[in-house]
Amino acid sequence: MTAPLLEVRDLTVRFALPRPRPFGPRPYLEAVRSVSFTLAKGRALGIVGESGSGKTTTAMSAIRLAPAASGQVLMNGTDLLALDEDAMRRQRKDIGLIFQDPYSSLNPRARVADIVREPLDLMNIGTPATRMDRVRTLFTRVGLREDQLNLFPHQFSGGQRQRISIARALTTNPQLLVCDEPVSALDVAIQAQILNLLGHLKTELGLSYLFISHDLGVVRHVCDDVAVMYLGKIVESAPVERLFTQPQHPYTQALLSAAPSLKRRKSQGYARAMQITGDPPSPINPPQGCAFAGRCPKAQSRCRSERPEMKVAGDHKIACHFPA
Amino acid sequence: MTALLDISDLHVTFNTRHGRVTALDSVSLHVNAGETLGVVGESGCGKSITALSVMGLIPAPPGKIAGGSIKLNGEELTTASPARLRALRGAEAAMIFQEPMTSLNPVFTVGEQIAEAIMLHQKASHDQAFKQAIALLDRVGIPSPDTRARDYPHQLSGGMRQRVMIAMAVSCRPKLLIADEPTTALDVTVQAQIFDLLNEIQRDFGAAIILITHDMGAIAEMADRVAVMYAGRVIESARADDVLDHPQHPYAHGLIDCIPNVGKGDTSLKEIPGVVPPLHLLGDGCAFAARCAHADARCTREKPVLTDHGHHPVACHAIEEARL
Repeated sequence: MTAPLLEVRDLTVRFALPRPRPFGPRPYLEAVRSVSFTLAKGRALGIVGESGSGKTTTAMSAIRLAPAASGQVLMNGTDLLALDEDAMRRQRKDIGLIFQDPYSSLNPRARVADIVREPLDLMNIGTPATRMDRVRTLFTRVGLREDQLNLFPHQFSGGQRQRISIARALTTNPQLLVCDEPVSALDVAIQAQILNLLGHLKTELGLSYLFISHDLGVVRHVCDDVAVMYLGKIVESAPVERLFTQPQHPYTQALLSAAPSLKRRKSQGYARAMQITGDPPSPINPPQGCAFAGRCPKAQSRCRSERPEMKVAGDHKIACHFPA
Repeated sequence: MTALLDISDLHVTFNTRHGRVTALDSVSLHVNAGETLGVVGESGCGKSITALSVMGLIPAPPGKIAGGSIKLNGEELTTASPARLRALRGAEAAMIFQEPMTSLNPVFTVGEQIAEAIMLHQKASHDQAFKQAIALLDRVGIPSPDTRARDYPHQLSGGMRQRVMIAMAVSCRPKLLIADEPTTALDVTVQAQIFDLLNEIQRDFGAAIILITHDMGAIAEMADRVAVMYAGRVIESARADDVLDHPQHPYAHGLIDCIPNVGKGDTSLKEIPGVVPPLHLLGDGCAFAARCAHADARCTREKPVLTDHGHHPVACHAIEEARL
């Protein structure tokens, strides 16, 4: 195990809700509840979960794009949450970010060369001439042509825009790339192109990925480790092969059996190994016990009253009273 | 046995600022009573336009059914009067749309909206229709249906809204149900619930389903037969197992190979290079030729026609000439 690049300890994120009555106490929604994980250098950690599970909020507050209520985020040993604004700004060159929607994440009025160069301008890295060289190198690296440098974002397809987004994230030569659902807005054939590109970049540049996705197939393909989130907490985390072949938490098992697979055929009268009903509970008033108890087929009275602690067995962590 | 729905040689054109483009180019499909036909392809391949032409919902102008026929139960739909189409829509053929939030009316309760469809097609009083609506909500698995029927769409979760859409679609027991990407906006666990519900509805009501999707996994779980579409043409059509296990067309092959599968963790995905060409730039040849590794001069000159070359119908010169 190499030294950790990013170590998140007990990260909690709270959002203020409107006061129910004037001068009354302000209620809070805990979107992320004491989440801890470690991302080693050169590895990819996938965070999976349904919408509203807090996966994006976790990643965004880990890199200080959303305010954290408490916790520590150690990047190469420095606590990002304790840095002052200027120091954090300098630290940002080590962090790249790719967003889900390639349409809204690129400035429609800027030429793509300027979009990709902007991080260098802001960080004041190199001279204007060397910056353009860097942009050209990156453009070829992500599979775009140099004659496209002066075009505007709307002249590109969704997959190409995502390539531009990747080039921009790589401009400052970061160590960490945060990918927030980078392929979920793309067609399957284009998804494969972008996933392969991300795979090559990781090996060549020795990048580490914090990879957020709801698509288990994508996560299995890209990631080395996976953390499954449910209602603001990590319920299970393990190396990717282990999690997919020996899932222990009932929620992970349900997610895996819900994901469509080419092997489950209607012609053979498929039946899901496990089917859960209903929707996740509201994070405003989370259940007292295990958050998944209301939908869990194995839930017992203890699950409803007592919140399960994270149990560690080697590199496999599970928060469940009755893991399978 | 005559098919419930028989589309033959359907041409749909749209007037755009690039001139007249052909969105559907001699599409032929059929659906037998009680079976599920999957229509699969990337965005812009014409799968939704096919569904909309069956429902008589092609916006005209700019769209126009330029040729071919659509027969539902032997009745020609392309020449049917608007009044006749209104009588058929909902009663004989019903549609479930992708985005349940935008396809439900936000200012009426969901029970009211289901009752409206019932009153329109059956001789039922408002009270009877509303009671039926509650029974339908119960049937599609909505807990406490009598209170939920009085809820507005925004009070329901995405999965519940899609259940309401399904309840509305099956309210008059249509023989044909068209589901246009019914689960794209939903989480995987909810998607699994909706798929199971659709299969159950099909068993109970005996409705035929056309499932439009870009997800081969959904095809495996749901479809009896599949039509693969590309740039407005059906390029391969067969039983689901045949297409999934022995895809013939290079595009169908690519679509299956480029999926990061939950079941296996490959290191590199097969890519389909390039993107779907815009419809106004389609030439005389095969639309896939530019992305195809097996294309030769004939492919760029002449459109291949859907023919059976030994396995199942496929539109490809390379297969016809046994070069593949």
